[in-house]
Amino acid sequence: MNALFVICGLGIISLIAEIANFRKWLISIIVLGLLGAAALVVADWNTAVAYYHDMLVFDNFSLAFTGLIIGSSLLWFWTASDFFEALFHKTDKSALILFAIAGGVLMTSFNNMAMLFLGIEILSISLYVLAGSRKEDLGSNEAAFKYFLMGSFATGFLLFGITLVYGATGTFQINTIANYVLTHAGELPSFFYAGALLMLIGLAFKISAVPFHFWAPDVYEGSPTAVTGFMSTVVKIAAIASFFKIFATCFSTIAPVWYTILLVIMVLTLVIANITAVYQNSVKRMLAYSSVGHVGYILLAFLADHKESDGTIFFYLAAYAVSSLAAFGALILVGGKEENTLVERFNGLFKRNPIVAVGLTIALLSLAGIPPLPGFFGKYLVFAMAINNGMIPYVIVAIVTSLIGVYYYFRVIIAMYFKDAVAEPLKVSTSKEVLIVVLILITLALGIFPDFLIQLL
Amino acid sequence: MQHYLISLLIFTPLVAACICLFLPKKFEKAFRAVALIVNVQQILWLLPMLVGFRASGMFQFVERSNWITLNLGSWGVLKAEYLVGVDGMSLPLVALSVFVLLIATISSWSIQKNVKGYFVLLLILNAAVIGSFVALDFLLFYLFFEFMLLPMFFLIAIWGGPRREYASIKFLLYTLLGSILILVVMIGLYTSVSDPVASQGGLLVHSFNLLHMMEPMNFISNTILDPNNPWQIGWFNARYWAFLLLFIGFAIKLPMVPLHTWLPDAHVEAPTPVSVILAAILLKIGGYGLLRIAYPIFPEAAMHFGMFVGIMGVLSIIYGALNAMASKDLKRLIAYSSVSHMGFVLLGAASVTEEGIAGAVYQMVSHGIISAMLFLIAGVLYDRTHDRIIDHYSGLSSKMQNFTALVLVGFFASMGLPGFSGFIAEVMVFLGSFRSNATNGVLHESLAVIATSGLILSAAYYLWTLQRMFFGPFHLKANIESDAIVDLTSREYVMLVPLAIAALCFGIFPQPMLDMIDPFAKYLTALVIDHGKAITLNP
Repeated sequence: MNALFVICGLGIISLIAEIANFRKWLISIIVLGLLGAAALVVADWNTAVAYYHDMLVFDNFSLAFTGLIIGSSLLWFWTASDFFEALFHKTDKSALILFAIAGGVLMTSFNNMAMLFLGIEILSISLYVLAGSRKEDLGSNEAAFKYFLMGSFATGFLLFGITLVYGATGTFQINTIANYVLTHAGELPSFFYAGALLMLIGLAFKISAVPFHFWAPDVYEGSPTAVTGFMSTVVKIAAIASFFKIFATCFSTIAPVWYTILLVIMVLTLVIANITAVYQNSVKRMLAYSSVGHVGYILLAFLADHKESDGTIFFYLAAYAVSSLAAFGALILVGGKEENTLVERFNGLFKRNPIVAVGLTIALLSLAGIPPLPGFFGKYLVFAMAINNGMIPYVIVAIVTSLIGVYYYFRVIIAMYFKDAVAEPLKVSTSKEVLIVVLILITLALGIFPDFLIQLL
Repeated sequence: MQHYLISLLIFTPLVAACICLFLPKKFEKAFRAVALIVNVQQILWLLPMLVGFRASGMFQFVERSNWITLNLGSWGVLKAEYLVGVDGMSLPLVALSVFVLLIATISSWSIQKNVKGYFVLLLILNAAVIGSFVALDFLLFYLFFEFMLLPMFFLIAIWGGPRREYASIKFLLYTLLGSILILVVMIGLYTSVSDPVASQGGLLVHSFNLLHMMEPMNFISNTILDPNNPWQIGWFNARYWAFLLLFIGFAIKLPMVPLHTWLPDAHVEAPTPVSVILAAILLKIGGYGLLRIAYPIFPEAAMHFGMFVGIMGVLSIIYGALNAMASKDLKRLIAYSSVSHMGFVLLGAASVTEEGIAGAVYQMVSHGIISAMLFLIAGVLYDRTHDRIIDHYSGLSSKMQNFTALVLVGFFASMGLPGFSGFIAEVMVFLGSFRSNATNGVLHESLAVIATSGLILSAAYYLWTLQRMFFGPFHLKANIESDAIVDLTSREYVMLVPLAIAALCFGIFPQPMLDMIDPFAKYLTALVIDHGKAITLNP
């Protein structure tokens, strides 16, 4: 909870930075504040305190995901520092980002459907604006508009679902709903199930699972690369945490109702996202489809054992977030001012700047799931869990799609190492070089010693 | 010190690779020096192991520490260990790797392009190779096994010949497919095997320890790979499938016909030192994996599919040899001869007799030495003329006497002429496969008889090559400068002569190494036959 106060406070400080004229120090203040928030999360560990009549609960699950969100945001601020420098309205953008993070923290810690809705809205509205922050760019405008329309539509589904569930059970508290479902099994009205399924659809939009993913590629491609990086890491972590929380606690007892639907969604997500990614010419769009595809693996773990999969999902997301941040960081550097991320742009990158090339290579290899990188352990745990629960055919599908994944990730790697350079050597600031080394070290550490992180949950 | 020899062998090259990363690019000599120092140091650490090794079926120089322990709630504890050790099969292969890597480093002196990157990758490859030969924990093995792939991919992809892009991607996709199949079995084994020591007291500890997996008692009842399981998938029991997946996974690496097509392409495009490592060490991991993992863990499947494995071995021997005979490119010829010779490893393993298995291990070491020599020979010629087409040369012996002498040694050794290491290995494989029907009834005698024709074919293609390239009047194709044809340089002597001596030594004095391998062969044979007969699968 204290971390949430700090993040909201930072957002307000950002807003007044323009008036009080300390813009220059703003990023340093934010980074220090986020470090403080991370420390508060560590201090709160193992406490599980409820706030505001049980509307928010900061148990270890929430704290772990909050910590992951804050950690990813810190690394993200480092990768995206140019985003704040290059365009105007620096303070607005940092305030929006901070409020989005606050929304994300609410989404991991809600104990009440109203709080879930608030969190999702705080996060989404900030992002609608951020997606359109390249005002002169048609793509960016399209992204913002599309995201706004699709997002509000999904929120509508979610809200309608919440009202139906409320109508059936008379409460917003997820624990109370879970108890009510348990005690009133067999006498629940059918609109309760409809509500649960509407919420499933609304949240599937937010985690961008197929067939509710159509917004993702266009929004990811149109938004400024830095914002895309934010969406595919911080936002994704928060969305999946809320999805897990709702379906593992609230609707756990009515699993037969949503199980088959989610199974179909999972298979579609794995197959369609990974196959479509093969045909993309823009690396950014390819990463967008790959991030949709990764949701499929997370859903596989969730379906294998929805109560005990939190550790696996947490590790998978952490591995995915670090690798994605590294990939988007490299994308920002290579794309340059015009944000051109076609595959050809990566030709001969190894000759133009070996550090960026090696960093991007390791990130892509981790996303592809090659050992000893963390992506491999994430996939390994997911597959082991699924095999243990007798989901062998689905594991085979997942293995085939991850082989397809290797193919499209390697297209970028091939371009970097085999093709002749098209441009001058790529100059990168020392801070970015240090960042790449740090990200490589975190990736390797997560891959070789995965148990520290998984053990948390 | 004695207790950490294996870790030193693995981690020295990794540390050296990190040091190299921080050296500025222009110190080309420094990278060569670091790589050389690492190789020499590895030999110094290997010597006490060779001296201190006691011939027995046990693992020695074992190091063990916890690596990953995860409590996964209701479905037990995931436990992976850093568990390494050597026995009579892995120690000769580790020694071979260290020796060949030293020669490959010397051979890498001629690399001019991006020296830093090259040596860093070579050092990482070095660590991964040693690691996969000594790992006794499946997860650890898999980690090293996969990690070998990437340095190799980049070594072919960046420093390779004109069609390097095609060759490296083909190599990557083939071997990645193989490792995915192995991964599936690894997950299956992980869910099925428990650690008998740590699992006491109601706690279920899933283990990756290969030694635990070899013991049928440790399988948890009603799991997918439990010997008493009722799981029938398609035509076979789940355990048969698991064996087949492992077999295909390792056979791609070996490589076995018809999964061999990546090998000639990779060899033709790879620079000489990379070819040497690929042929001499990486192919061995396929054979090693079969004997270390597939055979002891699924003995009943190994017996059941023995005839199939033997037939694939014979097919590789004959088909590889015929392809070699038809090859126009010297390096492609040698690559196909590798396919042919690795067929003997399959045949020897399939026989499940002491002679056969010892012969298979001996063949791996012997082929490692000989193929390294042959690829260096091809490299010598390529360095001078940038042309490897056999028809473009004639009568080379008149200009390159000493080179021709070493070529003769290499070709004769590979042919399996008595007095060279290949002969010992192949004779043992023949003995084993011939005796198999009488002792355990796995193979039919006719397989051994057909396989002998591989010897005749290899004599044919080597002698024909000798006759075409080295004898007769001196003549070159028009666009090759005849001034370029000069005899060996001192660096080339340093590389070729020790290999020739090694091939001879192991041909004339096979006893020391056989003493090392024999307890392992006895142990494995007994284990596969005893367990194979004890396990009767349900359907």
